[in-house]
Amino acid sequence: MKIMNCPLNGPRNISEFVYGGQVKTMPDHRLSSDSAWAEYVFYEKTEIGLVLEWWLHSPSSYWFIAERHNGSDEITRTFAPEAIFCDRVDFKTSEVPV
Amino acid sequence: MSDDAGLRTPPTRLSSDYGGAISIQDKTHKRRSGVRGIGASSWLKQQDLSAPDTPNRIILADNKTWVMSLSNREYWVLEPHEDADTFPTGRDFSEDGVYPLFCQSSHRWFVIAGEAKAQMMAKLCGVDLRSENFESGAVAQTQLALVNCIIARHTIDDEDVFSVFIDQSLAEYTLEVLLDARQEFLS
Repeated sequence: MKIMNCPLNGPRNISEFVYGGQVKTMPDHRLSSDSAWAEYVFYEKTEIGLVLEWWLHSPSSYWFIAERHNGSDEITRTFAPEAIFCDRVDFKTSEVPV
Repeated sequence: MSDDAGLRTPPTRLSSDYGGAISIQDKTHKRRSGVRGIGASSWLKQQDLSAPDTPNRIILADNKTWVMSLSNREYWVLEPHEDADTFPTGRDFSEDGVYPLFCQSSHRWFVIAGEAKAQMMAKLCGVDLRSENFESGAVAQTQLALVNCIIARHTIDDEDVFSVFIDQSLAEYTLEVLLDARQEFLS
């Protein structure tokens, strides 16, 4: 059984986890072009290498981030999302076109 | 095909002590509640209940009340000696960052006791629950027979037990699994 280390709960069987997609920066949905928004919603990086991904530990409903090599499938580290997302995201309303 | 073909008899011995080397008791009718939010630990202090400092721990808050931490912002209060129908009313959750959790309704509470309980659980659960690796006061949020569960090791009336919390919708299945796993430990 493959083991993943949950930052909150420790090592657990991989069957306890659910994949949540790559970590991406969300563009301002009111200002971005359709193609930029589609890029954000539908597409993920496919180059071989390390990628940051959202994972859910299902029994505790805890979302965290894992760094995984998408070629070897090796999980190199896992950490709490607060390490990246430490500030609230507020888009400036003054920039919205009328 | 008969009318009852395909139907299975659900376990009917739900509220008694099952006896033997490993006992499985249903404490679902006993009182428990929860609180979540950034102000959850300070809310507990206002109720004169101390809370664990770290997630996945359970401590005795007063003589008969246990407080279990599931994260830095979520706590369950367990009262195995109080009936749920005497639940205190009028608690104030109006403070910012404090939200009640209704684990009395959402989860079933099984209590497993006996010398061989860790060996029995090893058949169903990937976490090592032996006392050397899962000491009294430890909590594991994991899976039991592929069902999400919370397992806490503590004492009730000085007896070392596992409290197991299972979503109500899967509790009947899980109880059948526990009773089946226990068979080989009965003398």
